[in-house]
Amino acid sequence: MLYDLRHSDLRVRWLVTLLLATLGTSYLFGAWMVGLYAGFSPKAVAQTYGPAGEAHMAMQMPPDTTMVTERPVSMAEMGEEQHHVDVNLLVQDTHVHMPMYAVIAACLGLIALGLAIPRWASLSLIALLFAAPWLDFAGMWLTKLASPRFAIVTVAGGWAMALGYTIVAAVATYQMWWRKP
Amino acid sequence: MKTLILGAVTAALLHITPTVILVKREDAVAKLLPGADQFAARELHLSSTDSRKLHDAVGWEPPDGVVTFYVGKHGDQTVGALVFMRVDCQHGPIELAIGYDPRGTIRGVEVTKATVEMKPWIVEALRAGLTNQYRGLAVAQAPNGAEKVKPQIGAMPGYMAELIDKGVMHAGAAYRLFYR
Repeated sequence: MLYDLRHSDLRVRWLVTLLLATLGTSYLFGAWMVGLYAGFSPKAVAQTYGPAGEAHMAMQMPPDTTMVTERPVSMAEMGEEQHHVDVNLLVQDTHVHMPMYAVIAACLGLIALGLAIPRWASLSLIALLFAAPWLDFAGMWLTKLASPRFAIVTVAGGWAMALGYTIVAAVATYQMWWRKP
Repeated sequence: MKTLILGAVTAALLHITPTVILVKREDAVAKLLPGADQFAARELHLSSTDSRKLHDAVGWEPPDGVVTFYVGKHGDQTVGALVFMRVDCQHGPIELAIGYDPRGTIRGVEVTKATVEMKPWIVEALRAGLTNQYRGLAVAQAPNGAEKVKPQIGAMPGYMAELIDKGVMHAGAAYRLFYR
């Protein structure tokens, strides 16, 4: 343990608590946003990040000649934009989100360094914190470029992110404010 | 120096702001396909050759190879067609709705979405009458709304107007080359 959160200055514990509360709130809104725009099932993720949505899987490769299809739609269907992330948007998302995920993982990792847990657990926790965003974006890119089956990797990344945060937040809060051996 | 670096890093991390709806899609459809009560989505799945043709014409092709026109009808009569077009820039995406009358001239253009950062710039360009410049434009004509409103607006609204010109041009090329 590089430092001990249990016996740290009140100001440090206050800072860590507020950081965890703020990150927790942003994670809740993040989950809400995922629910709105992508969904939590591999199928929904594949539709969002797949080559052109699951419904168009048969058209993944450009046709030999331009094909025109026409189907009736309602006003409501035109209003409902099916959120689909194409390559350009995924480049932008990766560029914007990866640095922020790294900063969040680093903050949680610094908190993990102050927890009274075995060295292997600390190492595993830090690995989990950084693996989550990698899995998240690797899943998106593999879904886009290789196969919609990789959507499960993104779903796993999302759950790993939630798990990493929950472990750090729960253990840190418990050790800082309740357990004082 | 530290403040500068911190500011630059913060700006780099936060420079794409959330999306805002400027005009609801339903409202854009009602305005650009007036009186239509039946709609059909005409999806053009472009071949590689046609994608290249489009790219050669306007320097753009749909990222997923599909352009969707929404055709509006009232009874047996076609009211027109509409396409939603996204234009990306370093500040985020802009979504436009471009409506055509049955003769193929532009009936109107609505900016449906932008980002929080871009909204005031776009609103300034719209207040200067940007979208009026597209009305009645034939698909073969290059849109130059930005040039006309630039003297009345600031630099960033002018840049937004150029992006909107670009979106109208992309939609026009898709309509001219492939809409039947």
